Amino acid sequence: MNLQSNDLLKKFKNIKVTYVRDRRIRVDISHEAVANFLGMIKGQGSYIHLSAISCVDWIKDNEFELVYHCWSYEENQLISLHTRINRKEAEMISVYDIYKPAEFFERDIFEMYGITFIGSPKMEKFILTEWDGMPPMLKDFDAEAYVMDTFNWTDYQPDWLKDIEKEGGGIAIKPEDIRFHATSPSPTDD
Amino acid sequence: MKNIEIKTTQQRTNPLANVFDRFMQFCQSRSLFMLHYCTGCGAIELPPAMTSRFDMERLGIQPMVTPRQADILLITGYVSVKTLKRVILTYEQMQSPKYVIGICSCTVNGGMYWQSYATAKKLNDYLPVDLYIAGCMPRPEAVIEGLQLLQNKIANNDGHSWKDYFQNYDYYLGNQQHLFGEDWQTPTDIITEAKHYGLEAEGTYGKHTELLAKHQHPLQPLPLKTNN
Repeated sequence: MNLQSNDLLKKFKNIKVTYVRDRRIRVDISHEAVANFLGMIKGQGSYIHLSAISCVDWIKDNEFELVYHCWSYEENQLISLHTRINRKEAEMISVYDIYKPAEFFERDIFEMYGITFIGSPKMEKFILTEWDGMPPMLKDFDAEAYVMDTFNWTDYQPDWLKDIEKEGGGIAIKPEDIRFHATSPSPTDD
Repeated sequence: MKNIEIKTTQQRTNPLANVFDRFMQFCQSRSLFMLHYCTGCGAIELPPAMTSRFDMERLGIQPMVTPRQADILLITGYVSVKTLKRVILTYEQMQSPKYVIGICSCTVNGGMYWQSYATAKKLNDYLPVDLYIAGCMPRPEAVIEGLQLLQNKIANNDGHSWKDYFQNYDYYLGNQQHLFGEDWQTPTDIITEAKHYGLEAEGTYGKHTELLAKHQHPLQPLPLKTNN
């Protein structure tokens, strides 16, 4: 399906199609129309491969951005479908009935960002099965504060280095072991 | 780690027995089996260290696939909190004497993942580590040198860190509970084992082991069923 010549796109309101370069098309669309659009490009076009769904947390705009990457093996073209949803009521219609692999992508996003996908078959923990805190990929999750709060640190002990030097270790290289010389002149050459 | 002196094995009075003990320690140090539990990227340095290029086998160190028959637990790289649970289960299954080696900077201080919520930082909070080999990643030469250090320690009757796990079990359990939650329990009953080995000490018991005793339930056989 050539998006440029097709009339199908006119059915969608508020759609913005950008031809980024050869074989790469960016489509911006409202979130209500995502399932329709994906159904259309899969059914009437040849975009049968959903390679990924990615998510971006735009905390200042109070929005999540979801990007659906669809690949066509006939056109050799990638459509990235961008949509934005509200960050507070983070809900989205699942596209599992159109693309089966979406189950795992949606589950991953649910776990990392806390977006609920309505109609997805398994909205539960995926990889972080033993994590109870807030979704860790959110911008307002302060990983550094969490780490400082939870873990201890090994102190730096310079005595260890002295022990190593005593045994002839460290980074000193014996002259007979040097096989390659640095090309830049050393400070003593001046 | 709390610095409590570990009681080393007392020298026997019979000189012949002493010689025999030394000989045993020497043999033990020259026959080490290393468990394949590769947690992070440092594991990529082990195949060249084990195989013909650097050949660890000439020093008597061999890879082993099961924890029950292994002596050394190599932690090669970052340990995520989820992996750390499995590492502890694996460690507790190993037979004494057992040794833990932390390879790469990640096991020392989290390395480049120091900011990560998912990575455990200081390995010797959770397990008694015999020695660290720093580097990101250490070359096979460094790994072999570290293993030789461990061999010397064992030959000189100095490798007793594994006893620390029994003698300071409360400390290690406390750190594990802090990370995994208060209902954390492993299938191995360390306190009973400590009694069995005669390694009970002051540090074996404490408020964390009390907490464990409250909810600890004996290990049940797994139910036999097939997944539908």
